[in-house]
Amino acid sequence: MGGDESYSKFTQQELPACKPILTPKWVVSVFFLVGIIFVPVGVVSLLAARDVVEIVDRYDDACVPANMTDNKLAYIQNPNISKDCTRTLTITEDMKQPIFVYYQLDNFYQNHRRYVKSRNDGQLRDAAKANQTSACEPEKTTADGKPIVPCGLIAWSLFNDTYSFTRGNENLTVDKKDISWKSDREHKFGKNVYPSNFQNGLLKGGGTLDPAIPLSEQEDLIVWMRTAALPTFRKLYGRIYVDLKKNDTITVRLSNNYNTYNFGGKKKLVLSTATWLGGKNDFLGFAYVIVGGLCFFLAFAFTLLYFIKPRKLGDHNYLSWNRHPAGR
Amino acid sequence: MAEDHHGSSRHMSASQKELGDEDARVVRVGDAERTNERLEFAGNAVRTAKYSPLTFLPRNLFEQFHRLAYVYFLVIAVLNQLPQLAVFGRGASVMPLAFVLIVTAVKDAYEDWRRHRSDRAENSRLAAVLSPGAGGGEFAPTEWNRVRVGDVVRVASDESLPADMVLLATSDPTGVAYVQTLNLDGESNLKTRYAKQETLTTPPEQLAGAAVIRCERPNRNIYGFTANLELEGGESRRIPLGPSNIVLRGCELKNTAWAVGVVVYAGRETKAMLNNAGAPSKRSRLETQMNRETLFLSAILVALCSVVAALSGVWLRNHEHDLELAQFFHKKDYVSDDGNGNYNYYGIAAQIVFAFLMAVIVFQIMIPISLYISMELVRLGQAYFMIRDTNLYDASSDTRFQCRSLNINEDLGQVRCVFSDKTGTLTQNKMEFRCASIEGVDYSDIARQQPVGEGDRIWVPKKMPVSVDREIVELLRNGGETEQGRHAREFFLALATCNTIVPLILDGPDPKRKIIDYQGESPDEQALVSAAAAYGFVLVERTSGHIVIDVLGEKQRFDVLGLHEFDSDRKRMSVIIGCPDKTVKLFVKGADNSMFGVIDKTMNPDVVRATEKHLHAYSSLGLRTLVIGMRELSQEEFQEWQMAYEKASTALLGRGGLLRGVAANIERNLRLLGASGIEDKLQDGVPEAIEKLRQAGIKVWVLTGDKQETAISIGFSCKLLTREMTQIVINSNSRDSCRKSLDDAISMVNKLRSLSTDSQARVPLALVIDGNSLVYIFDTDHEDKLFEVAIACDVVLCCRVAPLQKAGIVDLIKKRTSDMTLAIGDGANDVSMIQMADVGIGISGQEGRQAVMASDFAMGQFRFLVPLLLVHGHWNYQRMGYMILYNFYRNATFVFVLFWYVLHTGFTLTTAITEWSSVLYSVIYTAVPTIVVAILDKDLGRRTLLKYPQLYGAGQREESYNLRLFIFFMIDSIWQSLAVFFIPYLAYRKSTIDSASLGDLWTLAVVILVNIHLAMDVIRWNWITHAAIWGSIVATLICVMVIDSIPILPGFWAIYKVMGTGLFWALLLAVIVVGMVPHFVAKAIREHFLPNDIQIAREMEKSQDSHDVTHPEVQMNTMARA
Repeated sequence: MGGDESYSKFTQQELPACKPILTPKWVVSVFFLVGIIFVPVGVVSLLAARDVVEIVDRYDDACVPANMTDNKLAYIQNPNISKDCTRTLTITEDMKQPIFVYYQLDNFYQNHRRYVKSRNDGQLRDAAKANQTSACEPEKTTADGKPIVPCGLIAWSLFNDTYSFTRGNENLTVDKKDISWKSDREHKFGKNVYPSNFQNGLLKGGGTLDPAIPLSEQEDLIVWMRTAALPTFRKLYGRIYVDLKKNDTITVRLSNNYNTYNFGGKKKLVLSTATWLGGKNDFLGFAYVIVGGLCFFLAFAFTLLYFIKPRKLGDHNYLSWNRHPAGR
Repeated sequence: MAEDHHGSSRHMSASQKELGDEDARVVRVGDAERTNERLEFAGNAVRTAKYSPLTFLPRNLFEQFHRLAYVYFLVIAVLNQLPQLAVFGRGASVMPLAFVLIVTAVKDAYEDWRRHRSDRAENSRLAAVLSPGAGGGEFAPTEWNRVRVGDVVRVASDESLPADMVLLATSDPTGVAYVQTLNLDGESNLKTRYAKQETLTTPPEQLAGAAVIRCERPNRNIYGFTANLELEGGESRRIPLGPSNIVLRGCELKNTAWAVGVVVYAGRETKAMLNNAGAPSKRSRLETQMNRETLFLSAILVALCSVVAALSGVWLRNHEHDLELAQFFHKKDYVSDDGNGNYNYYGIAAQIVFAFLMAVIVFQIMIPISLYISMELVRLGQAYFMIRDTNLYDASSDTRFQCRSLNINEDLGQVRCVFSDKTGTLTQNKMEFRCASIEGVDYSDIARQQPVGEGDRIWVPKKMPVSVDREIVELLRNGGETEQGRHAREFFLALATCNTIVPLILDGPDPKRKIIDYQGESPDEQALVSAAAAYGFVLVERTSGHIVIDVLGEKQRFDVLGLHEFDSDRKRMSVIIGCPDKTVKLFVKGADNSMFGVIDKTMNPDVVRATEKHLHAYSSLGLRTLVIGMRELSQEEFQEWQMAYEKASTALLGRGGLLRGVAANIERNLRLLGASGIEDKLQDGVPEAIEKLRQAGIKVWVLTGDKQETAISIGFSCKLLTREMTQIVINSNSRDSCRKSLDDAISMVNKLRSLSTDSQARVPLALVIDGNSLVYIFDTDHEDKLFEVAIACDVVLCCRVAPLQKAGIVDLIKKRTSDMTLAIGDGANDVSMIQMADVGIGISGQEGRQAVMASDFAMGQFRFLVPLLLVHGHWNYQRMGYMILYNFYRNATFVFVLFWYVLHTGFTLTTAITEWSSVLYSVIYTAVPTIVVAILDKDLGRRTLLKYPQLYGAGQREESYNLRLFIFFMIDSIWQSLAVFFIPYLAYRKSTIDSASLGDLWTLAVVILVNIHLAMDVIRWNWITHAAIWGSIVATLICVMVIDSIPILPGFWAIYKVMGTGLFWALLLAVIVVGMVPHFVAKAIREHFLPNDIQIAREMEKSQDSHDVTHPEVQMNTMARA
């Protein structure tokens, strides 16, 4: 044997190796270090989350005319009743631009298995694949068998409430450019794919699409088709590049088209600023502070324990056969 | 395999039956046409390959699906193909199964291709076959696969035999042929085979068509053959044929210019092929226990699926009226013809069933299928290191460690009971003649030894004793006419004649001297013949009819008139010799208890008494003893015997029994000549090894065929027995006395036990029991009592045990305790015990290869047991135990993460994690590190493990794998899955997060978490471990990025997008810390406040290492010694 030194070290399982041992020093240092990192990060995140100003307005119930509150479904399904609705929002804190306009849906299972699978990404990219509607059931073709572009439940259920904002007499323009992912516009939705046979069925799921505009420019559709992970979700509607002051009153003119009344869903309008951490959610900050604090506590607890019950490392008196010599 | 085993037992029993006419195989010599008329005999083509190109696919798949795990895989893949249940896409659902099947199929195909190649090479070898019809008697070269039963084949020296053949003639005028059976049983000495006198003189072409052989059906017994030869023409005679007349395929002809034989068994019916069974398949205990936990996991799986199914039912019921219009459900199908049908909705009951089945598909990896493949790879790696270990390499015989069974590596770490053979295992089986008692006079005084005089010798045995007793030499040379001198001569004549040794004359460097190599099957006989040669009785030549002995310088010819071979019932053998002075003498040698039964004690009672005393003394020295007796036969007695002998040996039915009867009839009223003592030296390091094993808490039982005194003395010399031990001896001649001594033993054990509770010092006990008593005990259902005694004893020594009893003793322990048993032996008599024990180890040394063939592991020396068990066994067990637990934990964590998400999707089994990541999770993302760690990690170094054998107890106490640890791992798994799921969930609640981004975060979080969990438990970090663990995380990231770079997948570009946000990284860090804290706290507490022995030893090792850095040379020295 022998020959190649490192090879023989390998075969004899004697490769040079590091054998870390969890000594008291290590344990306390690790907890201490985690605490030192986590508490400040937590505090910073908390402060950042506090800085975010968020205004949420649930409007689905409020926009139903008083005489129809008992039969919301009839209201939303009747095309002859106007769906226009006006809401007034008061700004609670100063809001720096850009202000993000979201709509929030509650109890809308965009992650329902029937729903998430019902799409065909090939069709969306390539005009030549308009007939490729597999997996799009039950919104695959029209009754006379023509392929729907874009097909599938997701597209069919496109959200179609619209909002416009005024502050006093000043129109606050909502910038609806760039609300979707650039990668989606460039690679996922074709520049030469145009909607066809869309929303022609008996049951209308949601919005319609202008057949003259290619899918890559239908940003609302693109946003909608990035299906949400959780049943309560927000989607970006647009941005307002105007600073809003505290106590400003904003009038929202909205058309309440989208039917959430049939399944007990809620619709909310959200105006929010943003930080590096995203929106107004102080969970992360609390989590960091609590975990950091816990680690400090553990560091002290272990220090205490090690003092109360010290043990000499590697003392062979602790070996079981030395502790109970007659035990065997 | 199983089929083979059944087959073997059937064949074995068939061979033991005597040859009846109805099941005899009729072979017409030289007439293959007529012999094979009915097409019932196999041709000589061998086929070890399993598949042909046509049958490969169906047969290989069929064999692979014998594994239950694969069937589970398949069922799930099939379920997934139903449109209602299509959880994964086609590709993703079939991939894991296809991957495993293809890898295994490629491996099988490669192995089979190699077998095909070797088959072709084997089948196209050439043999000289007598061409029929031509009449000229020409031998034409024929390919082996065209040789048929009945063909007459001629083989030249050093050629291999193409099939099993009955010898007809050889180049030797007396019909002797020597064969080497190395390929068959591994014994390297030459075996003698004989052609019958009757066929020897007839040229083969005349025999053709004139002779018929009736032989038994093909069987596996390579030491048995029953047949007879009928010569037509003239008076019809039946000539008996036995095992000494047949040469077997796979052997080589040696020292014989040529031999001619007739093929009786060909191809797959040859004994070599019938014996070609693989190693027995055993299952490791860890794997059996693992199946219990797998059942738990199945229960958890069913529970999860039931919860999902039930909740989905409740949800559907609560939303029954909403779903018609809900955009995400779209219950009605408006497109299809009837207009009002439902789309993919079959009522709540059906939906519940579908939800359940879909849940099974989604959560399938709860049962870690990849674990089975990982375990096989890990065992392969462990086997590699065991085979390569220089400490298990025997330089003296140039043998490496062999892993014959790849299923039970980890059992080596849990052994509690070692059953060891003595001869050849504890001892070297290199026999050396030490002393003799002749006519009641003891010649064992070392003071009288003198070196062997080589002065005027012509014949020099190759392995000669180094010294001789001066007094015996004197006696033989000068005491010619004295009584004592005559006895001494007869004694050595008996040693030289009463054996089956074949002398081979080799030319030495000195032309005047011939070197004799004594070839024989028994090392005892070799020692005795060599000793006889040293005292001047040199066996020079042996043919089937006579032997030539150089008696004190004068060549004499002795006719061998009859030979009763050794059998384990009689425990003796005898020869009938026609001496030059026309007297006929019977020489018998055998074990003392069998010999004293046939010795006429009235003839010289003093001698008998003295010899018995000497025998006792010899065996106390640890010598193997044989008693030698003789009788001169009168002419009438001889003729009577000869008739009986001939009748018995040509008998067709019950030949063996008849021959035994003839032998028993003649072997009586013997005169005692004397006894011999042969030393069997201990192997190197045996006492130290036994001491280490005992310290490790392993009980060592020795099972030997030797007599009690020999066994006890060997027991002392190998430190198995010590002076302070109380010996309980059970050797009884009757049922009653046996029961009585057993009861006595029990009461004694109980008494000592009650005493020892008071005082700390426990009296160690040793049980010595002999084969006879064992027979009584096993016959009369006292097994329980024996067990009770045996289990209380520290050492058990069983002497005079038959091979099957060895297995019975192993079974006694195996049946009644959960103790892991290990049997180690080297000979054919150990095979049953090796196969019975949980772990069977063969010593690949002197006695042949049957033990090795039957074993799970084979090695060169008994002392290797210590590094094998204490080091490799410990590592294997610890590694495998951890790996199984970790695999359970790892897959469960992933499944729980999926489960929490399913609860937020309307219970519809959607996964945010892409289907490809689900599939790759246990194949790529987390597979390599666990395999690498399970092969390379060491909880303790070799030196520590050998220095403190008690550390082996960890495996015996099942410290690395038990239900408690499993539960701990599962709790940890649930906690970590909660951390992985809920931290991002709470942070991303009411946000714009899309499912692909969140899925990617969860994927990375789970993978990093389980890899860090593993990293935290790794004990030794070398560069390979680092590469595997951190490499896996990087590989996962790369895979996720690749998946997200495919534009037609819904999650396109998500990972790039989400990695650009600070929240992603903050959440990842939080998940890891929160997930790991409980494990870290538990580890810190366990290691510091509740340390086990391994922990303490690790710390000692660590401080030792820092010491060694300053004194590196010390370390090198101890390593070399270890």
